[in-house]
Amino acid sequence: MSKVALIGSPNSGKSLLFNRLTGLNQKVANYPGITVNIGSGQSLADPSIEYMDFPGVYSVHAISGEERLAIESFTNALKNDLLDSVICVVDSTRLEKGLIFALQILELCYQYQKPLVIAANMSDVLEQYNMQFDYRGLSAALGTPVLPISAKTGTGLEQIPDIIKDLPAPSANYQSDTIASDASLVHLQAQQLAQNFGPKGDLLIKAQNRLDSFFLNTWSGGASFFLIMYLLFQAIFTWAAPAMDAVESGLQMLASVLLPLISEGILSDFTEDAIFGGIGAFLVFVPQIFVLTLVVGMLEDSGYLARAAVICHKPLRLFGLTGKSFIPMLSSVACAIPGIYAARTVDSSRKRWLTYLAIPLMPCSARLPVYSLLIAAFIPAQKAFGGLLGWQGLAMFSIYLFGIICALLVTAIISNTQKDMRDDLPFVLEMPPYRLPSWQPLVSNAWNRSKYFVTKAGKIIFAVTVIIWILGYFPNYGASLSESWLGSLGQWIEPIFAPLGLDWRYGVAILSSFLAREVFVGTLGTIFGIEGAEENVISLAEQIQSSGLPLGSGIALLVFFAIALQCVSTLAVLRREVGSWRLPVQMFIGYSLLAYGAALLTFHLIELFT
Amino acid sequence: MTLWDLSQGSSAEVSHYHHSVEENYQTRLSELGFHPGETISCVLSPRLGAPKLYRVNNTIYSLDDSIASLIEIN
Repeated sequence: MSKVALIGSPNSGKSLLFNRLTGLNQKVANYPGITVNIGSGQSLADPSIEYMDFPGVYSVHAISGEERLAIESFTNALKNDLLDSVICVVDSTRLEKGLIFALQILELCYQYQKPLVIAANMSDVLEQYNMQFDYRGLSAALGTPVLPISAKTGTGLEQIPDIIKDLPAPSANYQSDTIASDASLVHLQAQQLAQNFGPKGDLLIKAQNRLDSFFLNTWSGGASFFLIMYLLFQAIFTWAAPAMDAVESGLQMLASVLLPLISEGILSDFTEDAIFGGIGAFLVFVPQIFVLTLVVGMLEDSGYLARAAVICHKPLRLFGLTGKSFIPMLSSVACAIPGIYAARTVDSSRKRWLTYLAIPLMPCSARLPVYSLLIAAFIPAQKAFGGLLGWQGLAMFSIYLFGIICALLVTAIISNTQKDMRDDLPFVLEMPPYRLPSWQPLVSNAWNRSKYFVTKAGKIIFAVTVIIWILGYFPNYGASLSESWLGSLGQWIEPIFAPLGLDWRYGVAILSSFLAREVFVGTLGTIFGIEGAEENVISLAEQIQSSGLPLGSGIALLVFFAIALQCVSTLAVLRREVGSWRLPVQMFIGYSLLAYGAALLTFHLIELFT
Repeated sequence: MTLWDLSQGSSAEVSHYHHSVEENYQTRLSELGFHPGETISCVLSPRLGAPKLYRVNNTIYSLDDSIASLIEIN
C-alpha cells in the first residue's frame, strides 16, 4: 500500500480534495486539536494508494501548540519513513501565499527524499475568469510536478494516481534551504515564482472587494448580518420542524407496532419508558443538528462566515472573546455539541477556552421544552403593548437574552481575572473568496455530523436513561414513583431544593435533567401522572399551577435552567476535545453552583416583592 | 505611523514590527505577506473600530487594532 500525505493551508480546498479522492468525509478532523486527527482513506481510483489528510496549517513555523503538534506529526511521518509521497494543495487564485507554504514543504521533502506533487487547486475559477497559469514553467522551476486541479469539479483528479506512482524525489535544482532562511526571503522567492508563472490580473480580488464593501459596510453589512442570522434561526426552528415531527411520528408508529408484541412486564415498561421515552426525546433533535450543520456549512463554504466573524469581533472583544468565537456560540443555540466542535476554528487557545466557557450558557434547543412549560405555567397568555406582543413571547425572549448575557458576563469576568495571555493570538483572519457552495459535500457533512451525534452522544444518553429508569422503576416495579429508589433519592435531596420553594418532585425532575435538560419535562409528566407530557405541555403546566408552586420558584427554575450545565453529552464531547476531565468538571461544578445561587437570589427577590 | 492608521483606499510599505510582537508571530506575519518592504493596501475600513481589511498581493486579511497598530509603515 502506497501512503500519500495531503497537506495544505486552511481554505486551500485540501479536505474537499481528500473527500473526492477517497469518497469519505473527514471535515471533522481538519483542524489541529489537542490530539492530531489524521484522516485516512483508500483511493477510489487505485486501491493500492492510501491518502492521509493532515490538519491544515499555514506554515511549518508554528505559532500555537496545536499547530506545532500538527507540523511535528507530519515531519515525524516523513522522518520515520511512514509516507511514500506528499501532495501539497495550494490555491491557484492566491498563488503567492500558497507557494510560501509549498516551498517549505518542498524543502522538507527534499531533505527526507520524498516525492512531492503540488496540486494547484481552483483551476475552475481561473478558467471562469479566463486567467492563465503556466503550470509547466512552475513545475520546471521547482523541479517537482505542479498539477492543475479542481477539487470542486473533479478536473485533473484522475491524473493524481498515475503521477504519484514512480515519482522521483524533488531534484536538486531547487535548493532553497527555505526553512533555515529568513522568512522574507521565502516570501521573495514565492513572489518571483508567482509573478513569472502565476495568473495575472486582479479580477477576482476586485469582485471580492465589491461584495466585501456591501457585506462589511457599517449599514448594509449590519442589516445583511441580521437578515442572515434570522434565516439561520428560521432554518433551525422552522425548516427542521417537519423532519422533527416526522421522527416523532415515526417513533410513535414504531412504538405502536412493537409494544403490543412484547408481553406486559419489565421489558414492555423498559421499551416504552426508556427506549421510546428517553432515547426518542433525544432523537427528535437530530434534524435540527442536520439543518444547522447544513446551513452553517453553506455559510462557511460561501465565504460569509469569515465576514460574520469580522462583524462580531469588536463587540465580542469587550467580553474577552474574539470574532472567531461567534460561530461556535451561534451553533450552540441549536445544540452545544456542534458549538464545541466549531470552537476548533478559534486558533487562540485562550480565546477557545473562553469560548468553551460561553457555549453551555447559550440558550440551546434542549432548554426550549423546559422554558415552554414553565412560561405556560407562570406567565399569563395575555397581550402587551396594544396587542403587538404577548407576555409569554416576551418572557421567552427575555430568558434567551438572559442566557446570552450570562455567557458574555462569565467570559468577561474570567478574562479579566485570568490575565495569563501566553496562549493568546491576535486577530488576523484571511478572507476567503466568495464561492457558490458545492451541495454534495455539504449534505454529506451534515449527514455524517448527525450520525456522529447519534452514535457517540446516543451511547451516553442510553446508559444514563437506563440508570434513571431502573432507579424510577424499582423496587416496586413502577407502581409508585415516590416509593421508588429515585423517589427516595428525591426525598433525600429535597433539603437542597427546599430553599427555592421546590418539593421532592421537582428535585427528582432536576436531578434527572442532568442527563439532558428536556428530560425535566418528561420526568415531571411521569410524576404528575400525565402520559405524553412533552407533547401536551399546557396540561402539565396546569398541573404545576394547581400544585401550588409559587411564582418565585417558577422563575427561579427558569434561571436555574438558563445557567446549569445539565447535559452529559456536552460534558463528554468537551472532555474529548480538551483531552481531560478537568475543564468539564470545573464547568459542571461552577455552573451548578452559579445556577443554584442565581435561582436562590431570584426566588427571594420575587418573594420579597410579591 | 502604523498599519491601523492607513485610511481606506491608501497603500503603504511595511517598515518594521513593534518590539512587543513575538518573534514567531513576526515570522507568521512575514509569511502572510506583511513583511518589511511589502506594499499593503487598506481595502476596507469599517466604522466603530471594527477590524480593517488589508490586501497583500491577491489575498485579503482582516486585522484588528491590537496587531495592525504594531506594524509600522512608511
